[in-house]
Order: sequence, then C-alpha cells, then structure tokens
Amino acid sequence: MKRILVVTAALSVLMLAGQARSQATQEKIYRARDRVYPALVHIQPVVKDYNTGELKKQAVIGSGVIFHPDGYVVTNYHVAGKAARIICTLWDKEQVQAEYVGGDPPTDIAVIKLDLSNHPDGIPVAEFGNSDSVQVGEQVLAMGSPLSLSRSVSSGVVSTKDRYFSSDVRLPSGERTGRYNLWIQTDAAINPGNSGGPLVDLDGRVIGINSRATLFANNIGFAIPINIVKRVTEAIIADGKVHRSWIGVHCQALQELEDYFGSDRNRGVLVSSIDPGSPAEESFIKAGDIILSVDGEPVSARFLEELPVFYNNIASRPSGSEITLTVLRDEEEYTFTVTTRELGDLQGEDFEVSDWGFTVKGITRQMKIDNQLRDSLGVFVTGVKRVSSADVGGLRSGDVITQINKVPVQDLGDFITRYGELSEQTGKILLTTRRGGAIRLVVLNLDKNEEDTLEG
Amino acid sequence: MKGRSVIVAVALAILGLGAAASPANAITTDFDFGRLSKQVEQYSLVMEMKLELSFGMQTTEQEITLLATVVSKDGLVVFDGTTLDLSDPFNTFSSFSIKSTPTRIEFKTLDGSTTYEGEYIGNDRYTKIGMARIVDSTGTEFPYCKFSNKASLSTGDWVALYYLLPEFVSPRVGADIGMVSTVIEMPEKFPMIVGFGPHELVSVLFDQNLNPLGVLGMLPDPASGSADGSMRSFGGDDFPIMGLIGADKIAQLVADPPVKGQIVRGWLGITLQALTRDIQEFFNIEAGGGIIVNEVMTGSPADVAGLKVGDILIDVNGQAIEVDTEEKLPVFQRRISEMGPDTPVEFTVIRTGDDLVDTTNVTAILGKAPIAATDAEEYENDKLEIKVRDLVFTDYMLYNVEPEEFSGVVVSELEPGGLANIGGLRIGDVVQRIGASEVNSVDEAKVALEALLEKDPSEVVFFVWRNNKTMFVNVKTE
Repeated sequence: MKRILVVTAALSVLMLAGQARSQATQEKIYRARDRVYPALVHIQPVVKDYNTGELKKQAVIGSGVIFHPDGYVVTNYHVAGKAARIICTLWDKEQVQAEYVGGDPPTDIAVIKLDLSNHPDGIPVAEFGNSDSVQVGEQVLAMGSPLSLSRSVSSGVVSTKDRYFSSDVRLPSGERTGRYNLWIQTDAAINPGNSGGPLVDLDGRVIGINSRATLFANNIGFAIPINIVKRVTEAIIADGKVHRSWIGVHCQALQELEDYFGSDRNRGVLVSSIDPGSPAEESFIKAGDIILSVDGEPVSARFLEELPVFYNNIASRPSGSEITLTVLRDEEEYTFTVTTRELGDLQGEDFEVSDWGFTVKGITRQMKIDNQLRDSLGVFVTGVKRVSSADVGGLRSGDVITQINKVPVQDLGDFITRYGELSEQTGKILLTTRRGGAIRLVVLNLDKNEEDTLEG
Repeated sequence: MKGRSVIVAVALAILGLGAAASPANAITTDFDFGRLSKQVEQYSLVMEMKLELSFGMQTTEQEITLLATVVSKDGLVVFDGTTLDLSDPFNTFSSFSIKSTPTRIEFKTLDGSTTYEGEYIGNDRYTKIGMARIVDSTGTEFPYCKFSNKASLSTGDWVALYYLLPEFVSPRVGADIGMVSTVIEMPEKFPMIVGFGPHELVSVLFDQNLNPLGVLGMLPDPASGSADGSMRSFGGDDFPIMGLIGADKIAQLVADPPVKGQIVRGWLGITLQALTRDIQEFFNIEAGGGIIVNEVMTGSPADVAGLKVGDILIDVNGQAIEVDTEEKLPVFQRRISEMGPDTPVEFTVIRTGDDLVDTTNVTAILGKAPIAATDAEEYENDKLEIKVRDLVFTDYMLYNVEPEEFSGVVVSELEPGGLANIGGLRIGDVVQRIGASEVNSVDEAKVALEALLEKDPSEVVFFVWRNNKTMFVNVKTE
C-alpha cells in the first residue's frame, strides 16, 4: 500500500514538471505563430499550361510568406512560375493582386509582389532566421494552405537538415531542380497547397520554404533552407533571376571510390560526367578527374550532401570568369584553366501554335544537353492538340521542328516569324522534324473543309 | 428427350458456325482418317522441352510438350516456336526483351517406344516455326513428311490435322478439321483457315486427298512482318488469324535452317517514311505510294548506291511500292529483308529539287542487316551475377549516339540481390570501363573482369553511361 503511494507521488511530480514544460512550449508556439502568421499569404495563381498542345489556363493553390515591407512574397517556382495572373489572400482576408517578379527553377523559388494600394498602413513582414543553426529534433511549425485550407498550421520537428536529391528531379514545367541545395526534412504535415509556405522555428523565424511532400508516406515533407532562399530572393529582386556560372561538370560522391582513384579521404570532388560542348570539355577536363582545388581553395565532396557546396562554388562566380582547377588524374596533379559561361535558362520560352494545333518552346543549351540534341536549331514540340492537323499529320511532343516548307528554322523567334507569315494560309505545310535520331516529314493539312470534318 | 434435343441443337449450332460459308453439297468430313493416322504416326514425335525463361532480371524454368514433325531424312524437325521466340526483328529497341532458351529437348515416338535426344536450331523470324534436330550419330534415315506444293487451297476447302493430347490419354493424338475461310493476299497468298486453335499450330495440314500441304501457321502481322503480332481482335477476342504455311516455305527452312544470331536479312541502311497522300500532294507527285528516304547511313548499301536524303522510292525491281500509310511500311521493310544480303535491287527514284522533279534509277546491292539486341553476343559473370551484351545498331539509334563516339557493353541481365545489383548497376547501363580497362565488346569485358576477379579484390569499379550521363559504380565483391 505504501509503495503504491510512493509511486503515485513520484508520478504526480513528474506530471507537474511535464505540464510546466509543455506550458512553456505552448507559449513559445503561440509567440512563434504570432510573429509569422500575419505574414502568411494564400496564393491563387492562374497558371499557363502548354502540355496539351494548346495554351490552357488553370487555377492552382499555393502558399507564401511576406518577407519585405514593399510587399515581396516568397513562394515556390512551381506555384507562381508560370502564372498569368496571381490573386493573394492576406492575413486580414483581403484579396489583392500580385505581380510575378521572377523565379529560379533550380531551387524552385519565386518572388511575387503584392499590390499594396489598399494597405496604406503597411503589412506584417516575417523575419528570416538562420537555417545553418537549425537542429535536428528542433520543434517547427509549417504554415500554409494544405489542400487550399488557408491559414493552417501544423507542427513537428526537423527530421534531418541535410537531405540531398540528385538533380534528376524535375519540376512540372520540366526544369531539373535540387542540384544547388540541401533540404530540411520535417514531419510537420505538408500537403499539396503548402508549397511556398514558411517552416518556422519556435523563435518565430522562417527557417525554410516548404516545397515538397512525399506521396504515399506520412509526414515526410521537405523545405528549402532559408539561407539559400535569402540569396535567391535577393538576386530575383535585383535582377528577376539568379545568374549562375556553368562549366558543364557533373560530380559524384567520392566515398568508397578513394581506393580506386588512389586519392585521399576528404580531399577533392570527383567529376563523373562532362556535358558535350561545355567549357570543361573544351578545357580537357575528363570524367574520373578529381578536382582538388578551385582557384587554390581546397574543395571536397566525399558524401553526396557535400555536392551542393561545390556546385554553388562554381555557380556563384561571375560568368566569363577564368577559374583554375587543380585536378588529380592517374595519381598525378594537373592544373587546368576553365572559362565559365552563364548557365542560362533551363527551359525555353513557350509558344502556342494555335492555327496548327500544337505548342513549342525554344531550345536552350541545357535542353539540348538534356534531350541529347545534336544542335540547338529549331523548336521543341511540347504538346500536340488531339485531332488537330498536326496530330493527324503525325507530329508528337518531343519532336524538334527543324524546317518549315524545307526552309531551316533557327530558333523560336524565327519560327514565330515564319508562322506569322503562313498562319493564314490554307493548303499544305511541310514540317521537317527530328525525333531522337530519326528525321520525319509531317504534312499539316490546313484545308478548312477537312478540318471541319475531323472536328465535326 | 428434352435434354437430348438441346444437345442436338448445340451440335447443329457448332456445325452451323463452321459450315456457314461452305457450299451445301460439300462433303466436309470425307477424310480417310484411318490411312491418315498411319501416315502421321510415322513422322510425328512428341517433343519435351525444358526452357529457361528470362524477363529482365527474372528467370524461371518451364517444361513444355509439343507435337513435332520430322521434315528431312537426317532428322530435322519443325514445331511451334512461338513460346521460344518472343522477339520481333523490327522492334528490338528494348533491352528488356523476354527471352527463352531451350536447355534440354527430348523426342519420343507417338507409341512411346523410342526416345531421341534433340538439339534446338533456331526459329524462323517470320512464321515462328521452330526447328530442331534429332541428335543421332548412327546415320539413321528417319521417316519424314514429304510436303506437296501441287495442290492449292481455295475458299470452302476443308483441311485436316492431328494435334497432341495430354500425356494420360492414349493414343497421344486426335484429329481435327478446319475450313479455308478466305485466301488473304499478303501479297503472297495466305489461305486463312478457321476451326483450329493455337494448340494446333505447326501441325501438318492435309487436303482431302491426304496430301500434306504444309503446316498451320499464323498470319504475319503487316506491322512487324512476323507472326507474333497477329493476335488480332477476331470475333471479339484476341485470337490469331491462322492458315497454311506452304510446302515451299518449309523446303526453304530445311535447305537453310534459321540459326540464332546469324544474319540472313537484307539491309539498305536508310530511315524511311511512307509516301502518304498528303505528302504526295505537297510534292505534287502522283503514285500509289512509295518510300521517303529520311536518312542515309554512311557507308550503307543505300549510300554506296547514291541514294540521297529526300529521295522518294516508287518502285522496286519494276514493282510499284504501294506504301501510302505508315502501317504499310513493314511490307516494304520485309520485302527488302527477305531478299537477303548481296541481292541487287533496282529502285525508281523521284528526286525533288527546289522546283523540278526528276526521275532516275538506282541499283543498290543489299547488305546484311545489323543483328538484333536479342541475338547479340553475351557474357555472363556468375560471381557478380551480371550479364552483358554487345551494343547493336538499334542501341545507337535508341541512345541517339554515333557508333564512332560511343562504345561499351550493355547490362542485359542482373540477378536481384546479386553483387552487381546490390552494387548499383542497372539493366540498360552501358559499361564503358571495368577497373582501369576500356571495354568495347563482351570479349573485352570478359577479359577485363576475369583478370580483375582473379586477384580477389574487395571491389570492382565500373564506369557506365546511364541516362545520357556517365558515372562510376563501385561493386563490392564480398
């Protein structure tokens, strides 16, 4: 009897202590909420989709957070990047228009600017924290509009802070993403619609931008660390985009390959692949080279998670700058000078070829490399409208149009000019296309009667 | 009484289906099955075959029993090879092909009195007729089926065959009859026969005079030129269109049996497109159809003959090429293919300049078709549990790379949980270096890998091409 009493007493002491702690935590959560919640934005962009062969406008939902008194809101590129118009709902439930300022597909970050004409007294602004000092296990709040349920808060902890995804991950608009940043993983519930919303620490500072959730899993969400976001948003406000230098090397973690290459641990970055026609190729850098230093500064990527540091090291230099790489090849050291180039846009500009029933985009250098095209000439077909003359003629998305009526097409501008000249024309138009390695001729039959029959 | 009338009605209905198109006075069942069965017993064998089936990384064993027919006195045998050849000569882009390899063949006479060992020779690509040989060193002359190419079949004719019954049934074969429902022009004549099922494929077909005319086969699919695509919607269900593969084709197979990996197809070396009505109108050409030359491979027979990109072929050896839709392309491809290497072929070519259209004749000597992925040389390493094969022509097309700039061997199989699989290699990877050695062929891969493994290393590093990029893969050996 006595023993039970003792146990009970001990338990109640414990419970009291726990209650005190949880009360303190609760206070912190309220405080953190109050510092960011008013700056939370429910974003309803109308995005342009070209993938069905015609321009279609589609309303989507995302989240964002105001980070600048001038009305700048950070969100995801995959939320606002292709927006035709953007409507935002603010803390006071007022709806305002926003304009697209710019975006950065490689980090999936975009900036929009609110129209503040109805908010003469200013707006609440959230404060960015420091993602480098985030602790695994630290309690965090995710805020946003999951499944369009605006002003929702969920809570969890930082599950890990250095998750890396290889650059094979693509945004819905086709760009590769994830090469230049690590991710904060959290178990705070993140659902579609949370995209672009803030991940907040208990000091009420934004430590990440929630960007991704894992389908078929519970509570595995990913946020872009705010220190990356700070750099990207500054560049976007200044210039509409992030400029990156490019030399065309792809790297791989050196872990467990040191013996093979006869290299030291924690020294050097392994080059695994070289883009054709890149500065690295022109400077005779080869797959299998281990870059030991860049401009005399040692670099290292023994683990996957260290790769973004190296990629950013190269990317952050002004394009056109000469960099000196010290390289270990066949256990000897060599020095190479590489002149960087601007990475440029990952995807070209979209264009709807409405009279002919398909959509195209310009071919950027990165698209040429990604799609293994022999050159950048022509335009890239992104969609073909069903039962259009292009569809009937056999045009398919992924084809590259290289000629119209046997005259070469240089680029998207050239294509648009030629299309303008021919769009009123009926009769037949011959497109020469390339699909993978094979050339194909496609005849567009623009005979009005026949088209009517098909569509009727 | 009532029950019986139902049975009769059903029987009539079944007969009615088969006989609907036949003339009322045809004596449909006038076969002397007594004589026929004696004839069939002489040269028919029960074939028991063990198979290794692999699909990508998975391998299973299977045993099948078929009715086989001896077709030459030295013991060549034909059988239904559809389970053996699942590849398609015009569609070998995938490295994930299903493959089946016979590991053991045994022949038994129908009465079970004699057993022979057998050896697989190959499959005919177009008819899917399998060929094997009785392994015999005694010089025995085997009784064989002497096919007749004298008789021809027309709509309404009846034919008979014997098919294999299950093992617990004696005798082992049963008779069946079918009717020629029409004669399809392929452009060769193909008498289509109804009344038979897929289990009766490659059985010998007899006319009512008991002449063996050929074997039951499937209609080659015009889209691939071979019989594996002919599972066409037929009466609501997918069902092969079957008919007579004649004596001439079998004689050809006996004279020149198909061999795995041997190149027997003719090749021109162009990429091509059908001359559709729209394209004809665009170029202001009037033709029943034709072939547009989209690319000419350097050094190919077409290149040597002087064919140019943009040329339009409208006839071959004086015969019009009536290809006016993409679906008919394989008819032309098959025609070239079947002519075989070293055959001179004359084309009438329309050459379209800026404004003028010029007609000229070009003679090309066909080359040998590049081998298919499924026929490529392979090497298997048991320690790492990996199979690699040589790169073939279609790989370069698929990967959109130039053969001069690209070399290696393709990972064609990986055992799940095997060392290579755990180490991170994937099917479809192109291995370009093993350890420090460049690898350009399976022979080089074998030499490089075995030399490395002999030293009993703890790891083997592969340099591979995957998804348009290269990378290093470290495979632990323990």
